[in-house]
Amino acid sequence: MSRNWVRGLLLSVAMLGGSVAVADPITPPPTPADYAALGKLPDWSGIWQPEWGTLFASRAASKPVLQPEAAKVLAQFDADKAKGENLQTDAANCVPPGMPQIMRMPYPIEFIYSPGRVTIAIETDSQVRRIYTDGRPLPTDPDPTFNGSSIGHWEGDSLIVDTNGLNPRNSIVEGVHPTDKTRIHEVIRLGKPDHMEIETTITDPTVFKQPLVLRTSYVRKRDWQIREYVCQENNRDAADPFGRPSLDISK
Amino acid sequence: MSPRSIRFAAAALIAAAPLAFQVASAHHSTAMFYWGKNVKIASAVVERWDWTNPHTFLYVTVPTPNGPEHWAFEGMSPNHLGRTGWTKHTLKPGDKISLVYYPLKDGRKGGFDVEVTLPNGQTMKQLSSPTDDPSKS
Repeated sequence: MSRNWVRGLLLSVAMLGGSVAVADPITPPPTPADYAALGKLPDWSGIWQPEWGTLFASRAASKPVLQPEAAKVLAQFDADKAKGENLQTDAANCVPPGMPQIMRMPYPIEFIYSPGRVTIAIETDSQVRRIYTDGRPLPTDPDPTFNGSSIGHWEGDSLIVDTNGLNPRNSIVEGVHPTDKTRIHEVIRLGKPDHMEIETTITDPTVFKQPLVLRTSYVRKRDWQIREYVCQENNRDAADPFGRPSLDISK
Repeated sequence: MSPRSIRFAAAALIAAAPLAFQVASAHHSTAMFYWGKNVKIASAVVERWDWTNPHTFLYVTVPTPNGPEHWAFEGMSPNHLGRTGWTKHTLKPGDKISLVYYPLKDGRKGGFDVEVTLPNGQTMKQLSSPTDDPSKS
């Protein structure tokens, strides 16, 4: 399968006369063998609820070690927060948090296998991450997106995922934003029965002096379903441009 | 705050407050509330129960000597509450309830819904974790 995307890529570049625009890789039609191969992957069926305790503990434990410029930005963020600004994020305006925080919301996620891809359906804001496992590389000049561009491969029963192309509006941790140099490396695997562990390592030489590592645990719920979550349905909260909160309690 | 409101310290809820803060902040921060400060309304009548995302809303009438007051409480989402025993039918207009809430800092008649005691005496909590009780998994 990986040869096919290379062919598609070369063809696309050739057709454009070597210009910088590169088409997305071609996804070939899957074969019965491609579908059969999915049966050998670890059983990640059911849906996975983050453990509240790990969300809380890892946020406290994941203090970033920042480069001077990023530290200055964070210090200003904190100073403004002390004045009553930056108390609220754009999430209050129903803007999805994007990576990496979309994987750390208090609602469940679901893994869907298909040939050449693992899809993560995320309940929060009804988001989807598409992780291409067909051998393609990360895009070299992706348009920045909330969930980024992701590729993955299996090492034993662990799914290794690499992500780039993050929207600078995202927050890596509070007050710290990604750049075009930010890379996220995830190791996703089962731990004890019906528990999943995700170790998320975030690097960016322009932001961090050392990699930032986040750890999240999930519990399998076989009798749950992913529910719809449309934030705009009845959002009474808001953040103004300075991050000051408001709540509409009118009936 | 209504003079009829009774402040009390519920040790268990206070202890759980930092965790609840993190969880409730999935959609927004809790900066507009006195988060962790329990206030009780001993008697209220349900006006409306909005089973909506990103938050449920509970509108109630509170009788006072000066006439009825109207209060509004933001709560957890249907996605959360639906997994901890609540449904869209848990409350209906006319139900006589008591409730505990975290007040708004700006003094308006509203806050964050913490727990509701139903007409049948059952108390329903808003901020319990769906992964704490293995019997619910």
